[in-house]
Amino acid sequence: MTENRPAERDSSGEPGRSTVGFSWEAELRQFDVRRERARKLGGERRVNRQREQGRYTIRERIEKIAESFSEIGEFAVYHEYDALGNKLGTLPSSYVCGLAKVDGRYVALGGEDFTVRGGAPQTYLDRMKGGTGGFIDDLAHDYKIPLMLFVEGVGGDVAGQEEKGHAYLNNSISWNRCFEVLSEVPVLSMVSGVAVGAASARALASHFSVITKDSVLITGGPPLVRRALGIEIDKFDLGGAKLVTSIGAVDNLAEDEDDAMNQMRRVLSYLPQNAWQLPERAPCTDPVTRRAPELLEIIPENRRQAYRASRVIQAVVDQDSFFEIGSRWGKSLTTGLARIDGIPIGVLANNPQSLGGAMDAAACDKQVRLISLCNTFHLPILYFVDVPGFMVGPQAEKDNTLRWGLKAMESIISATVPVVTIQVRKSYGLAVSATSNPEKLGLRLAWPSGEWGDLPIEGGVEAAYRREIEASENPEQLRAEIEARMGALVDPWRTAEAFGVEHMIDPRATREIVATFFEASLGSMSAGGNLPRPDWRGRS
Amino acid sequence: MSEILADCVGTVWKVLSAPGDRVSEGDVLIILESMKMEIPIEAEEDGVVVSVHVAEGAQVDDGDLLVRMGE
Repeated sequence: MTENRPAERDSSGEPGRSTVGFSWEAELRQFDVRRERARKLGGERRVNRQREQGRYTIRERIEKIAESFSEIGEFAVYHEYDALGNKLGTLPSSYVCGLAKVDGRYVALGGEDFTVRGGAPQTYLDRMKGGTGGFIDDLAHDYKIPLMLFVEGVGGDVAGQEEKGHAYLNNSISWNRCFEVLSEVPVLSMVSGVAVGAASARALASHFSVITKDSVLITGGPPLVRRALGIEIDKFDLGGAKLVTSIGAVDNLAEDEDDAMNQMRRVLSYLPQNAWQLPERAPCTDPVTRRAPELLEIIPENRRQAYRASRVIQAVVDQDSFFEIGSRWGKSLTTGLARIDGIPIGVLANNPQSLGGAMDAAACDKQVRLISLCNTFHLPILYFVDVPGFMVGPQAEKDNTLRWGLKAMESIISATVPVVTIQVRKSYGLAVSATSNPEKLGLRLAWPSGEWGDLPIEGGVEAAYRREIEASENPEQLRAEIEARMGALVDPWRTAEAFGVEHMIDPRATREIVATFFEASLGSMSAGGNLPRPDWRGRS
Repeated sequence: MSEILADCVGTVWKVLSAPGDRVSEGDVLIILESMKMEIPIEAEEDGVVVSVHVAEGAQVDDGDLLVRMGE
């Protein structure tokens, strides 16, 4: 016969319930006891280590970014065992999540607790709280609210299968929601500390990611690399923050966590709560009629000289509204978010300071990423074009530039949001087809500094008239003559006369014209326009 | 210590920095000529120029070391 004696609640030190009933007093006391355990995270030693490395704990991160936080799953725990299977104690689970308010907006907020088992996936719980899909992703999906993630974790670990008693066959079920939310709500992630494997992947599966400068994001850590390849390499050399932002695995680099959180909040400010809403237009203190005389200084009269594309963007959009995304990779294309007359927009600009503005594989990839963001969340696109073509040369061929070029082309062609292009200077070659869509309105506004054609005259003449030039008695003279003849045709006013470019504008007046057209276009993005229509019958 | 590499094939048009120069982020260290344009190579962060590895007129390949920087 079993005694009617409550089993001890080993995790809290309190007696458990009897079958007869319970004590309100004892049950309510449980909240304090269990909450205290949750607050202690992985224990003083590990928390101190986190702080010594200049990082916040997951609870401190949440406190910093959220005005309010309703935690869910606060009492989920992880039973810690040593390598011999002896129980060491009970810790809070390795993920903290809940419903937060950030800048007055509800967001689903979560992150790994690195002080508990290195922030490992919560395969020890009945339901994942978050990481690679879980409660927090479901919350964002069901309520159609943005998802903000603090990523810091070891990804999977071998210890997990020891707990289960068998090796488990990983599948992709839990990733479904991670991809689904990308077409529904803004997903923003910060990496601070170390992210490995699945944790790294989750940071990449977002619309905007930022990493603090002393952090690491890798597919597999040094022990794995040593065993697989026999290479001794430091984790920072494998995937330090500077490296991963120079290849675009993570969008932006941050000085520290405060900077990273501010960047996430900044990006969120341009985006709606979900893809069924339009982004909020902000009050604008920068007069829409403001002219930009500095553009005449920024664009050199000498065509050989470069300029910084971000300066052109800043001269046109609302003052201080340009937020650059991905400044450390694909540098021949500058991309970011901005406002014009308060309207949130996406901006792209070929940047002649890198590769002369030529589109290499990375720049094409970067274009696809920004245009997808604009398309999902209804941001009109402003494209400053100064492109000598897709990048050429042995490296560009090896980089499969045309494959990425086609993706860039497809991105602008399939964009459903309004696109306005400014023909700043060069528009040569196939790459021009990746800057606007003639099947749609294709509003191209040219500055008198513009020049365009199938190929630039230098080189182009050589290619087209090579035989004649070679056969000539004075090849140099003939080439110069042909170039002069062709040069006269490049006058952009001739194209404007033929309505081959929609309009020629004074660069200084660009701001007002663009703002006016974008304001007029807003209705095209409302429900029934390019917005996905929610199913009013309530079907899934 | 960081290395500034050429990001495309080109010719060194001007060398505007020398070992020992203290530079700020964004300062132009070298101007390459590539894609028929003058391409400024800038310091990526504040620091000191430790060594310059190219001379004016030299041909550079994608990935060639141009300047080594120190703190």
